[in-house]
Parts: sequence; C-alpha cells; structure tokens
Amino acid sequence: MGTYPKEMQESIERVEATRPARLAAKPGRLTLAEQETLLKGFHPDYRPEGKRKLRVGASWGDPVPHELADLLEAYPLLDPSAVDVTKPDQDVDVLVIGGGGAGTVAAIWAHLSGVPAERILIATKLRHGDSNSIMAQGGIQAADKPHDSPAIHYLDVLGGGHFTNDPTLVRALVEDAPEIIRWHEDLGVMYDKAPDGTMSTIHGGGTSRKRMHSAKDYTGLEILRVLRDEARSRGIPVLEFSPAVELLTDNQGQVVGAVLWNLETGEYTVVRAKATVLATGGWGRLHIQGFPTTNHYGATADGLVLAYRAGAKLRDLDAVQYHPTGAAYPDQLVGLLITEKVRGMDAQPLNRRGELFVHPLEPRDVESAAFIRECASPEKGGRGLGVTTPTGMVGVWLDTPMVDMIHGKGTFQRALSSIHRMYVRFDIDPTKEPILVYPTLHYQNGGVVIDEHGWTGIAGLYAAGEVEGGVHGKNRLMGNSLLDYNVFGRRAGIAAAGWAKNAAPGSPTLSHVERYVGELKSAGVPPTRKAPLLLPEYRGERALARMVDLL
Amino acid sequence: MKRLAYFPGCAMKDQARPDEAGTLHALALLGYEIAEIPRWNCCGTVYSLAQDDLMRHVGPVRNLLRVQGMGEKRVLALCAMCYGTLARSARFVQEPERLARINAFLDTEEDFRGGIGVVHLLTLLRDEVGYEKLPSHVKQSLNGLKVATYYGCMLLRPREFAVDDPDRPEVMERVLEALGAVPVPFPERTECCGAYLTVGRKDIVEERVGRILRSARGGGADLVVTTCPLCQFNLTERRPPEAPPLPVLYLGQVLGWAFGADEPTIAALLVGQPTPGEPVSSGGAR
Amino acid sequence: MNEVTVFIMGKGYRVPAGLTIMKAMEYAGYRLTRGCGCRGGYCGACATVYRLKGDYRLYADLACQTPVQDGMYIAQLPFTPAERPPYALQDLAPEGQTLLALFPELARCVACNTCTKACPQKLEVMDAVQAALRGDIRQVAELTFDCVSCGLCTMRCPAEISHHHVWQLARRLNGAYLTPRAKHVQERVQEIAARKFAVELDAFMSMDRDVLVAAYKAREIEA
Repeated sequence: MGTYPKEMQESIERVEATRPARLAAKPGRLTLAEQETLLKGFHPDYRPEGKRKLRVGASWGDPVPHELADLLEAYPLLDPSAVDVTKPDQDVDVLVIGGGGAGTVAAIWAHLSGVPAERILIATKLRHGDSNSIMAQGGIQAADKPHDSPAIHYLDVLGGGHFTNDPTLVRALVEDAPEIIRWHEDLGVMYDKAPDGTMSTIHGGGTSRKRMHSAKDYTGLEILRVLRDEARSRGIPVLEFSPAVELLTDNQGQVVGAVLWNLETGEYTVVRAKATVLATGGWGRLHIQGFPTTNHYGATADGLVLAYRAGAKLRDLDAVQYHPTGAAYPDQLVGLLITEKVRGMDAQPLNRRGELFVHPLEPRDVESAAFIRECASPEKGGRGLGVTTPTGMVGVWLDTPMVDMIHGKGTFQRALSSIHRMYVRFDIDPTKEPILVYPTLHYQNGGVVIDEHGWTGIAGLYAAGEVEGGVHGKNRLMGNSLLDYNVFGRRAGIAAAGWAKNAAPGSPTLSHVERYVGELKSAGVPPTRKAPLLLPEYRGERALARMVDLL
Repeated sequence: MKRLAYFPGCAMKDQARPDEAGTLHALALLGYEIAEIPRWNCCGTVYSLAQDDLMRHVGPVRNLLRVQGMGEKRVLALCAMCYGTLARSARFVQEPERLARINAFLDTEEDFRGGIGVVHLLTLLRDEVGYEKLPSHVKQSLNGLKVATYYGCMLLRPREFAVDDPDRPEVMERVLEALGAVPVPFPERTECCGAYLTVGRKDIVEERVGRILRSARGGGADLVVTTCPLCQFNLTERRPPEAPPLPVLYLGQVLGWAFGADEPTIAALLVGQPTPGEPVSSGGAR
Repeated sequence: MNEVTVFIMGKGYRVPAGLTIMKAMEYAGYRLTRGCGCRGGYCGACATVYRLKGDYRLYADLACQTPVQDGMYIAQLPFTPAERPPYALQDLAPEGQTLLALFPELARCVACNTCTKACPQKLEVMDAVQAALRGDIRQVAELTFDCVSCGLCTMRCPAEISHHHVWQLARRLNGAYLTPRAKHVQERVQEIAARKFAVELDAFMSMDRDVLVAAYKAREIEA
C-alpha cells in the first residue's frame, strides 16, 4: 500500500531488512535490576514534578498526579444547599453506580443473592455498557490449564505489581478466576477455543503461563455485551445518562444512596439505598501528564471524588498505567489501544533502525519505559531512535507482519480483526507494513481501598472494578482488569445484597460534603475548582471563547 | 460431470434436509456436479409476488445475481415454493425496463443481466436426464411400493411456471415408476394443502389435509411423496386425528433411497414394518 | 490550516481537515453526551449518517472512526429504539426455530441488503438475517461477532428487524450450547473448591518480601 510518508517508508525498509534474522532468534528478557533502572529513568510515574501530596481527606499526604489532586481538592459541582435530599425520589436495596463491567456484574450477583430486580438500580453516566470494559481487546487471565495454578498466577500478579498489591485481594482474584470463566461459558460468552472445547490461551506481558483467554480481539466487547444481555433478561432497571454527582450519608456516617443528575434535562434525583456499589471506572480522560488515552469518554475519576468526600481511603494512585502500544500514526488514531495480544502473537517492537530493543512482553510499565527511552532525545538521556511522523509524534514500530509470518496467513485478520479494521480504514495494511506505537494512558492502577468483599470500610459502601485499588498494586498485568471487574463485581454484589438485608439507613444528608467543604476552606483550596468532572472538555477553543450561557 | 448451480432455500437446510441429502446423492450418480450458490438468501416466498411490486422481487433476483456471479446460466431448486418464486422473478425481469429498475434499486457492483434459467428437480429428471435413464441407476428397487404423488399448488400454478400440464400432470408419476414404485389414483393430488393458513387458520388446513390424506389412502397408497416443505409440514403436523397417518416423504428422499442412500422410512415400509416415528423432523412453518 | 466545511444537522462549520466527525463536532463547539462513548470504535454510541455533495447515497458510519470530508451533511443517531423480547437463556434451546419464534419479524426480510450497506463494521448483515431465518445459529454468531450494536442497520431496515438483539441471542446460544465446554476449566473449579492450592497460597501470603521476590525470579516461564 505504501501510504506512509517517505521518511517513514525508509525506516520500514530497515525493518524488513532485519526481519529474517529476528524471525530466527529468541529475544532475551530483562533482569529485575535492569527493569528497575529503566523504570526510574523513563517511566512518567518517576517524575516527581508530575505529582503532589494531598492536603485534605482520608489519604492526606499521599502523592497523586496533579490532574487527580485538582479534582480531589475541589468544591462540589452540586451546591448542597440547593437540593433537598431528605425526601428520596426512589428507594432501593442496592444502588449500583456505573454501568460498565463491574456495575453490571455486581447488579447480576445482587439479584442472584436474592434482591428482587426492582429493588436494584444501575445508574450510569452514559449508556449501559459504555465503559473501558467494552474496549478491552486482548483477554482475561485465569489459571485453568493443567500446568498452571492459582498460586503461579498469584506470583505473577504480585511480581507485576512490584509486590505492592494487597495479598488478600490478589488471592481472591486468582482463586475466583476459573469460576468466572466457567460462569461466562454458562452465559454464552464465545471464547476462542479448540474444537474439543479447550481454551486457546496465550501469554500476556509478565505472565509465566499462557493463561490469556480471548474472544478474538473483541474480548471486552464480547464479555460485556453478554453480561448486559443477562442483566436485561433479569429485568434489572438501568438509568442512563444519569451520573451520580454526590453520595448520600446518614447521621451514622453510613452511605445511604446518591444524588443522580440527568445529563440531558439537568434534573436531580435522590436515590436512597441500603447498600451502594461504586463501579465508576477509571481516570484516563484526565490526560495525566498530557498523555493521550485509550479510555472511554466517561473515564473521569468521578467515583474517587465521591468516595473520598464520604471518607474512603485511596491507595496507589501515584501509579499510572501507560499502555506501551497506543497508536501513534495516523493522527486520527493517536492514543487508541493496540492490544498486547499483538505482541503476544509475536509482533516485535523496533526502533528506527529496525532493531529489537526490548523483549516484547515485559510488564507494561517496563515495556512503556523502554519505548520512552528509545524515543527520548540523547539530551534527555534517551537513545533518540524513535520514528518521527509528519505531525511531530514520535513512536516505535510494532512489526505486525510477523504475526502472519509466524502463525500463518490470515491469522492477523482473524484473531485481531478490530485492529485490522482500524488501520485498513486509513489505508494501512498491518499484515504487510508495521504500525507505529507510543505509550498511552491506559489504567488506574490504584483506587478506593477495599477488602476482599469489595467493602470500602464505610458502612453501606462497596467498590468494584477500576475504581478500587490494591488488587494490582502499582502495576496491573494485561488480562487482570477484565478478571478484576468480574471477581470483585461479583463479590461486591453479593456483599451489598447481604448488607442490604439487615441495613437500617437513616435519613439521607449531604453533611459529609459540607464537612469536606470546610476542610477545603481551611486548607486554602481556591473555590474555582469543581468536581466531579463528569465529562472531559474537548470543545474547540475558538468556540469556547465565544460561548455565553443565556437560556 | 455437468456443473449445475443449486439454490437450496431455507427449508432444505432445516426440516427438509433429507430431501436435499437424497437429491444430492442421486444427482451425483447422474453425473451432476452440484454447486450451491454462495451467499444465497430466502427465495422471497414470504411475500406474495404481487404484480409488478418491485420490492418483492429483490430477494429472488439477488439469488439469480449470485448464479450469474458463479458464471452459470441456470439454477436448480428442489423446493416447489423456491422454484416458483425464482422462476417468476426470472420471468419478471425479462422486460428490460423492469430489469433496469431492479438494478437501480439493488445498486450492486455488478448489474443483473437476466437470462438465468430456473429448473426444478422434476423437469431436470424428465427433460435432461430422461426417465429411461433412471432404472439403470437404481440400486434398491421401490419394489411396487404404492405412492400417492402430491403436487399441491406451487409446482403447477401459475400456469406459466408449471412443471407439467397443470390439469393432468404426470412427471412425478413417471419418475417414481422408473424407480420401481406404483403410483396410485389420487384425485386430490393437485389440491392446495392450505399453505400459510397453517399459521392463523389451522382449522381450514386440517380440513384440507384430512381430505388429501383420505384421498391418498383411498387409492391404496403406503406413502405420500411431495416436493414442498410447507406441504410436508401441513400433511404431517396438521393431520386431523381421524385422517390416515400416512408417511409423507420428499421426492429427494425416495430418489436417494432408490439410488442407494439410506432412508429408514422406506426400508421399513418395504418390509411391512411400522414406519419409524415421524419421517422427518418438523420444526414448524416459516 | 487546511479546513473543510461540514454541515452539522444542516448548519455549516469550518473545521480542520483530517479530524474525525466526532472531533469536528467538538471543535465546532458541541459538548457530546449522546453520540459519544468509547471513542475507539467498540461501543457503537456514535452511529452517524451523512450525505456527500452530489451523491444520492445516505452513508452510515461511526463518528469516532470516520474523517470529515468537505461538504459532508452530518446527523447522529442519539438512540435506536429496538425491541428485545423477554427471554432467559436457560429456557431456550439452540434450535432452528428459536430465533424466529422470538423475532418473527426476521421473516419480513426482503433481502434488500440495505443493512449490509449501512454497517460501519462491514459485516454481511443481510447474510446474517438470512442465516437467522433458516435457523443457522452458528452462522449468525460467526457473521455478527464483530457487531458493535450501533443500530444503523436497524434504523434503515424496511423489515423493522432489531438486528443486534437477534445477534446477541444467537451468539449466546452458540457460546452456551453449540460449543463444547472447556473441561480443564471445570476441573480447576473443582480443585479450587477442594482447596487444592490453599496451602501453597497460604505460604506465599505469609512469606517475607525477599523470599517472595526470589520465588518470583525463579519461576519457570512457559515457552
């Protein structure tokens, strides 16, 4: 096809020249010491100027990215004195905030635990299913093959997280995993399988066994749409375009529901709940340190803001996951995810000269740091061997033609159809030419502190999925996020249903918000900042500059 | 081997599978290379082919277009309904102005040029293979089995597309004779079974089916033979309790058995045993 | 800057060439709520129809994946009303008639192929309708696997079929009943229930960090 500009084309010729030798050789892995040097030198998390210590709240003194600190140290979007929360519009047993993977699973398991469907409510900011969960491409981990075990999985998760994870949560993750896969099979998820039913599994970055289960490269979509359909079969009510803008607490400090806000009409709705499950996802749309992101439109850390005001503790939010392979060319695709499965299927990362500079499947943070070092200029300590695009983006090659060369013609299009489709739209054929990639903001490693039942430590409040922290420590491995939302969505749903049976919620108030506002004032936080963010600001500057609010 | 494009139609992939299996077995022995057309859709029969209603012809014409794409000039159908639908659309677009209009609507890369012939299994056996050739291929004779040849409507109506003389058809009888069966007198053989009324007016269908089956039994038949999956469904699933429970088989099943394929119902009939349950699985009407 | 003119719901705006429809709308000053989800081609929220100057065709695509062209007339679908009959998977059989019984409107397909032309994923949508009509569940599941439920085919279908709900059911029937279960998964679930790995996990959980790190380093990596 040859749609790459001439300078990039020249580099592709080098990639092609080194390919026969690379196809014949086995790449080496880094030692733990080498990994550490790379991380310290080049991972964005290790830049102290990117973070600051929190000045208010339960995690006072913990460093978090400025972009998040700005939201945690911010005044409520909803003026507590402007709404009457004492008379709930709706009363439920279990309120699930967030309609992505974790929320849907929690709602289904609350129902399976005996809460009637009409006593459950899923409230979500966009549509049911709009989430990072639906975008996951590569797979879901579970140690269910004979030569694998939950114990080996446990070790991989901890090593990937640099031993910062909460061991109790990791154990829950790995021991529930096979059961989750079995449940998915019951529900009709079409996993990639051999004709006899054996799961097709491959490696992910940092795995010591091939335990990545997939559904082509639409794994997240396939799992979530099945779960959503199951929730529909069960008749669980869903309120779309209705983000929670504040939690509600009673005079005991229990969380007793939330205030929802209709994105389209501007009305608020007060929902009182015996138990509330926070499943609001992550923070990609905060564009930490200016990185592009793979995340969906609504990934704005709302849940962290709400929970923090209600007194929840946060952890590991100094660790941001950059996915090594975000698209870097063409411009329209910048930031979009190129699944790790591409490297799992033997595509190699290469510099401008066509040289393999790192093992394709180091843990994500290490792999990203290696890409950044390869692209950074020598003045910044880097190697200056990235490929520059006409618009000034820099990236490294991912040698995608190797997939078909190693696994047979047609493999790429079959196993990686979404990536294939994405590039073919822009006249690039990834089975013939390499694609250009650079790290992109991908995942919120940390989050709200929970126990193994998804309980936040605040009566009535549970959390599941990307919003919670501890499962992955400071770095998540591929395939453990889909697993996380299933495992902890299920646990939180069951625990919330259990709590709701005997809960005695008092009258709803926003007193915790008022208290928090007091803390903000004493800490001298400027009153201009408001949170939650709800939606990122992408409107054009020219239009924004002339915008006036009249009606 | 003579290559022949083949349009199966939905029923041949579901409740009429045995018809297809038998026919394909027999046609291979008769020297045909049967090429199923790629990406075929429903023949179009779910809508009446009202006069000059362009939209109703889109489905059938698209199938004919696929035949053209294969580089073939004609297409075989087994199902009486599919045959009728395809044949009528093939005729409809013979008029250049209609052909142009349907092409404008289809808006496909390749226009349909017309000129695709539609053949039914019965006409193929009569006009191209020849009745006289059939006995030499018979591996197990039907041995005097008494058959009621049920034409129903679609093979004979409307008149322009009839596979035989609509008033005195004989093609099915001649084929079955050549296979060793004995056609019995069957006055109701061209009567309608009630067709789609099976969905909303079961009572009408049951009344007609009862009449047809009694007529077949009256002639002494052991077996009813048809080429239409809807007739087959009605004659078995809408049989009123008092009507004789005759097995109803597709022509392809009988043909296939005579040519050596397995067919438990016929085997049972020939040794005078009770027929094994339902002759074919019947899911329901479309 | 190289600019083009696009008409968003009939009103013209100058936007930079090369933007996707979604980014062009934002550039023009729209704050999207409907019509925007994952921004990566997976969620189907941004179903969009457009016409080009001098072309009678009504094109359909995803706003997040389609670059603007000069003279484009754009409208987004905020929502696709679609009928999903109530069912529970465990009550259904993976049989030929199951889809048609729940979605009788499938039989109204006249094979016009408009659905296929509307599909942003370039799926053979009409072939899938036809496969559903003849009860070939596996074929439906395979043909529609890459469907993102954007609703564009559903909005254009003269037979008024709610495609993505049919596909969803077909895929679930296929996954649950027409594909063999993984035996090794069932076995592992039983082993965990029998606490086969509990001792090893207990040991890992009580290990000192150094010992744990050593165990991690020493772990064998499957080739």
